[in-house]
Amino acid sequence: MSDAAASVLEVRDYSLAYRTGDGPVQALSRVDFSIARGRTLGLVGESGSGKSSIAWAILRYLPANAVEGGGRILLSGEDLRAKTRQQVADIRGRRIGIVFQDPSTSLNPTLMLGRQIAEVLIRHRGLTEKQAFAEGEALLARTGIARPAEMMRRYPHQASGGEKQRVVIATAFACNPECIVFDEPTTALDIVTARQIQDLFVRLQEDTGVAALYISHDLALVSRIAHDVAVIHRGAIVESGPAARIFGAPREEYTRMLIAAVPRPDRRLVDSHPPDGAQRLLGLEALTVRYGERSLLSRMLGRAQEQVVGARDIGFSVRKGEILGIVGESGSGKSTIARAIAGLNDFSGRLTLGDRSFSGRGALDRAYRRAAQIVFQNPDASLNPRQRVREILSRPLKLYGIARGRAEIDRRVGELLSQVLLPPEFARRYPHQLSGGEKQRVAIARAFAAEPRLVLCDEITSSLDVSVQASIARLLVDLQARTGATCLFITHDLNLVRQLAHTIAVMYRGDLVDLFPVGAADAPDRHPYTRTLLDAVPVAVGSAA
Amino acid sequence: MRELARHPTGLVGATLLAIVLVAVLFGPLIAPYDPQQFHPAERLRGPSAEHWLGTDQFGRDILSRILHGARATIMFGLGATFAGVAAGTLIGVAAGVAGRWIDSAIMRLLDGLLAVPDLLFTLLIVTVLGGGTGHAMLAVAVAFTPGMARIARAAVLSVRTREFVQAAQARGESPVYVIGAEVLPNTMGPVIVEATIRVSFAIMLGATLGFLGLGAQPPSTEWGLMIAEARQFMFRNPWCVAAPGVAIAVAALGFNLFGDALRDILDPRGRQR
Repeated sequence: MSDAAASVLEVRDYSLAYRTGDGPVQALSRVDFSIARGRTLGLVGESGSGKSSIAWAILRYLPANAVEGGGRILLSGEDLRAKTRQQVADIRGRRIGIVFQDPSTSLNPTLMLGRQIAEVLIRHRGLTEKQAFAEGEALLARTGIARPAEMMRRYPHQASGGEKQRVVIATAFACNPECIVFDEPTTALDIVTARQIQDLFVRLQEDTGVAALYISHDLALVSRIAHDVAVIHRGAIVESGPAARIFGAPREEYTRMLIAAVPRPDRRLVDSHPPDGAQRLLGLEALTVRYGERSLLSRMLGRAQEQVVGARDIGFSVRKGEILGIVGESGSGKSTIARAIAGLNDFSGRLTLGDRSFSGRGALDRAYRRAAQIVFQNPDASLNPRQRVREILSRPLKLYGIARGRAEIDRRVGELLSQVLLPPEFARRYPHQLSGGEKQRVAIARAFAAEPRLVLCDEITSSLDVSVQASIARLLVDLQARTGATCLFITHDLNLVRQLAHTIAVMYRGDLVDLFPVGAADAPDRHPYTRTLLDAVPVAVGSAA
Repeated sequence: MRELARHPTGLVGATLLAIVLVAVLFGPLIAPYDPQQFHPAERLRGPSAEHWLGTDQFGRDILSRILHGARATIMFGLGATFAGVAAGTLIGVAAGVAGRWIDSAIMRLLDGLLAVPDLLFTLLIVTVLGGGTGHAMLAVAVAFTPGMARIARAAVLSVRTREFVQAAQARGESPVYVIGAEVLPNTMGPVIVEATIRVSFAIMLGATLGFLGLGAQPPSTEWGLMIAEARQFMFRNPWCVAAPGVAIAVAALGFNLFGDALRDILDPRGRQR
């Protein structure tokens, strides 16, 4: 790796800043790494660490307000910073490829997929139209697409997310580039699809010997596919070295913290057993949620009902003080269930909370709604941007008559803030003055303000950074234990759910396919889909921290 | 305010508006002559030391008439816009909140109205009701209602699906609270911006109606009317048409640029730094 002659991509002592209205902001300081032929460097960092800035700098696609400091970016020994715009355009796509996070935005929706691959081949390899389409088909076949000729003629909206990402990868490999930058290529995909794309990446990388820069926030994933790892924090590389060494024996405090924050199924956050002999709190019987109402026009025209079933005949029960984890890929119906229980979706079937039973959304009264509180995925959207934290937290107190009078409400808001480990001064702040993790703490405090018996957590950690994720999960488990509330924890992160749930429910395309105590995750009688999910999730290597 | 200072075109708009505001507030005080006073001996003069912008066909001082006319013209623009925005927002919010067939019915009706150009629409109303400032204002307000309703409804629809609104619904809040405290405060941004820009349209529409003799009536002083009255003398003294024309342009441009700047400033995406 240190042999400069053999390295394909070299970034040496590179610094970058952005001009903003409030003066320059340093994005990268003295970044230094190199990737040799046939090697994969995993670049790991949290959001805002500068990992995407590195990708832009290498591709010479920096925004107008970027100010480059010292340092060099070398591709096979040639300094890319010295290239003219024309030369850079010639290098991009031919000698450096790029795969972005979201294939649905990186492909042009108005062009056939085949056209988008052929374009690169015609532009950079000088093929004729006919040759380019034939070559494109061969490239698609190599990425494991079953019927490449058919895929060539499809438009992006006619392909699945995984298929689209395969097309993007085929395009990146089209001109046999020396180096490919992968910017979070599987983050936007489902667990199972992501796993397939990762396997594809490993295979193609080995076949072609391309030097790959793999940017990701997911340490467990990087530990599995990268040869070398560089950890970036606030624009500087904190630590770099072979993957096994970084994960096995990290030297820096930050790396250790990051690795410790990765959820590991074997490191439980709660007692393994739900309270013994606890009564049933929540029960679902044949709960079904349908989406889509017919518009007036289609009803008048007598058009057939076009309804989508979000969740079908769901039945399970949860005991007092139990944490039930619900997992599944996007569209599996896991959020649908949570929203139905929260009274946000119409449902049919029977819903029981304590000794009260309901057969529809309309029957859910305020007493029920107080007892069942929901926390949403994205704290940016779940807090009203025009209300201060005090107003946000005092609303449930007033609504349910928990606290009356200014002094008592203020005292209670202070207590709630301290419960979620936030200082009391935060009561005067607006949501945009808080970080993502702080906002999510406020959202959790709002749910617990109602003194609920059931808390529905809908992907509450997925929009947060790894280290923040861990602290939010710990906070939730702690609050849950203290208040004795029952908790439904919905997530796509299997490692996390195995850390904190007592029982796990698996959903697939609107059906509940599996339900088992967390200890039985590896039992042989698991549903095949559960097996697939568990196998698809990378578990961090090494045993550090 | 600090954001405005960083916005060059917004600053230009604000400056133009400040000039117009001075005329509205202090016009009659600083005007050198009585706007209605005839001076038959000094008809249709060009600019001079005594009459900076010249005189019209009756020898009235044009500068004084513009300063006096600012109030009527700007008040017309603000009043008509305010009425149109209020009515449109009310209808739009109602449609957005009600949803289902009420929404469809209201919006299809408004689509039909939107198909008629603003000027044609106002002309129609003024023709039916008769001319005069009050009717012209009403006409402009009615013409603005469908467009404003559309914008208000779109804002409500985009806010209504946000999670903080769902959180309030899940808590079991009353619909009045959900709409009043959670939805409405977050929809006002686009409405205010659109309203600011529409003031300039209203001023121009008012001036147009004045010019056609359907708005303000002589002998009152209004910029559009000034242009209409002086039309036949345009070639003998261009100043009596150009001066009020420029005044209208300045006011309209001021509101327009200011509205654009306001949109940039209020848009959270533009504020990310």
